[in-house]
Amino acid sequence: MSELLSGTAIRPWIERLLADGKRVAGPQRVHEDLVQYAWLTSADQLALDGFVRPSNSIKEVVFPRHEQLYGYQFKGKRIELLPAELPTKEQIVIGARPCDAAALPALDGVFNWDTQDEFYNRRRELTTVVTLACGAYDAHCFCTSVGLGPGDVRGSDALLIAVDDENYEVRCLTDKGRRLFAGVTTESSAVGRVMEGPPVQFDLDKLGAFLAGGYDNPAWQAAAMRCLGCAACAYTCPTCHCFDIVDEGGPSGGTRVRNWDACQFSMFTAHASGHNPRGNQGQRQRQRIYHKFQIYPEKFGALLCTGCGNCTRNCPAGLGVLPILKTIAPTP
Amino acid sequence: MQEELRQTCRRLLTDGTVQVVIGYGQAAADDRVVPVFITRPEDADQLVWNDRCFANLAKYLLRKEVAALGRAAICVKGCDQRALLVLEQESQIDRSQLTVIGLACDGVGEPRQAKCQSCDVHTPRQADITVGQASAGNPPATADGRYAEIEAFLKKTPAERMAYWKAELSRCVKCYACRQVCPMCYCRQCIVDKNRPVVISTSATLKGNFAWQITRAFHLAGRCVGCDECTRACPAGIDLRLLNLSLAKAAEENFSFRAGMDPAADPIIGAYSQQDHEEFIR
Repeated sequence: MSELLSGTAIRPWIERLLADGKRVAGPQRVHEDLVQYAWLTSADQLALDGFVRPSNSIKEVVFPRHEQLYGYQFKGKRIELLPAELPTKEQIVIGARPCDAAALPALDGVFNWDTQDEFYNRRRELTTVVTLACGAYDAHCFCTSVGLGPGDVRGSDALLIAVDDENYEVRCLTDKGRRLFAGVTTESSAVGRVMEGPPVQFDLDKLGAFLAGGYDNPAWQAAAMRCLGCAACAYTCPTCHCFDIVDEGGPSGGTRVRNWDACQFSMFTAHASGHNPRGNQGQRQRQRIYHKFQIYPEKFGALLCTGCGNCTRNCPAGLGVLPILKTIAPTP
Repeated sequence: MQEELRQTCRRLLTDGTVQVVIGYGQAAADDRVVPVFITRPEDADQLVWNDRCFANLAKYLLRKEVAALGRAAICVKGCDQRALLVLEQESQIDRSQLTVIGLACDGVGEPRQAKCQSCDVHTPRQADITVGQASAGNPPATADGRYAEIEAFLKKTPAERMAYWKAELSRCVKCYACRQVCPMCYCRQCIVDKNRPVVISTSATLKGNFAWQITRAFHLAGRCVGCDECTRACPAGIDLRLLNLSLAKAAEENFSFRAGMDPAADPIIGAYSQQDHEEFIR
């Protein structure tokens, strides 16, 4: 037996969630040729098919691009700290891609490694992730090359799989998922089938060997020659999580905020002295690959890449993880 | 035309005229055309020319990693060449050290990009070598056509325009792809990167995004050549072209000036005249 959710029941159900005061995010068609995850104000905004994947990622629901950590006020010679309020609203992501959800356990590691990040953890607790198994892939997708697939359940609370044009099979995977779908689904004998993913496009063992001895390989600069040093890759990546902490305020006080930052900016590692330990783009691209495929794995035992392909899709120069890894670690 | 381009570049590399050709090549991983840097004559066959050659390669002349490859030849479309002229006028490139390969272009993208609809530089000007011939069938370009989109936009009420920009700029994540692809964004330290003190908030909030995009547009006034790379690069699909068009229109209407068109015309931001009708100039 399986649990079934009809396509026509999805929108009224989302309207009820919104009416209950929950924040609901999902893919939205922003322009004719652009789909992005965004907070929904109406269930009609949800787009579930007709595209491969949104051009951004769901990380923003747990790790917003801009977050106030606390406020401060100067009181004579004293400084008064004003704690920021932690979020309280339950939030649900509907129609997330498996390559987005799989990034969340990876982020959990980073945000709980040396300190427990209360903002991240609170948002994470408040978030239920409903993934939708992929119905298509494009030339930039490479989930199967990093051990994932179109129906992978990592980081997901419930997985939807299309049964036909009308219905989805709902596989609840966690208590959060079961709570969310309680009373919403109907029992059925119909079962969804997950499509096959894209062919494996690079060799992880070969990559490991290359990284072990390839730190000074000229391949890095050769690959990075066309990189222009923006953060379109990192900011649309489900797993990239670097941030900068800055104070915004005036003579009487202000706010300490956390903003996204990215390793492809030359400013990212620039020292106040003027020295930059990553002085060229080859070194910066090398860092991005090493972080995802060696540094993070050594520390947390998993890859920091889910194969979503957003880096390449969004790169004005067509670079990104896949083009680089296809060059340095090609499949036989 | 592609074969002619390859032959030309092979010759330039063989006879030592240049050490690198900055051009377009077919990506190995997918169907995209990407910038390539050809340094050996035998690799000239990697060069391609088709209507997916979107990038304005002029930006690469400003990158030190590319400059380190040596004397360069660069492939440009007509719109890209305008950027070269501005960079030359602003003393950012030494034109005498550069070989410019002009690629006759009937437009890029399917359907054609917005900028191509009103293009009047199908054949790049001031190129050292021109490859190919533009089709005689390209539509004639007029000032009306150039600014049709911004004129239509300006017919909206101020409230409607504000609502539009709020919705669009709310998606900006400050990845600075717009800045990084822009040939005119070459400041050694961008104003948004100044942090002692902070001039423009680094936050990708609505306020911070307005501050960034408005500042950038102003810095491009009378300088933007309309290559639309910022619009193409934006991962959030923000039509930055509209901002640039509005300033280009002002420059043409008030100063009869179009950036990168006339080598003899003084840049409007970089020159002044005693005859200026504003008092402050005297």
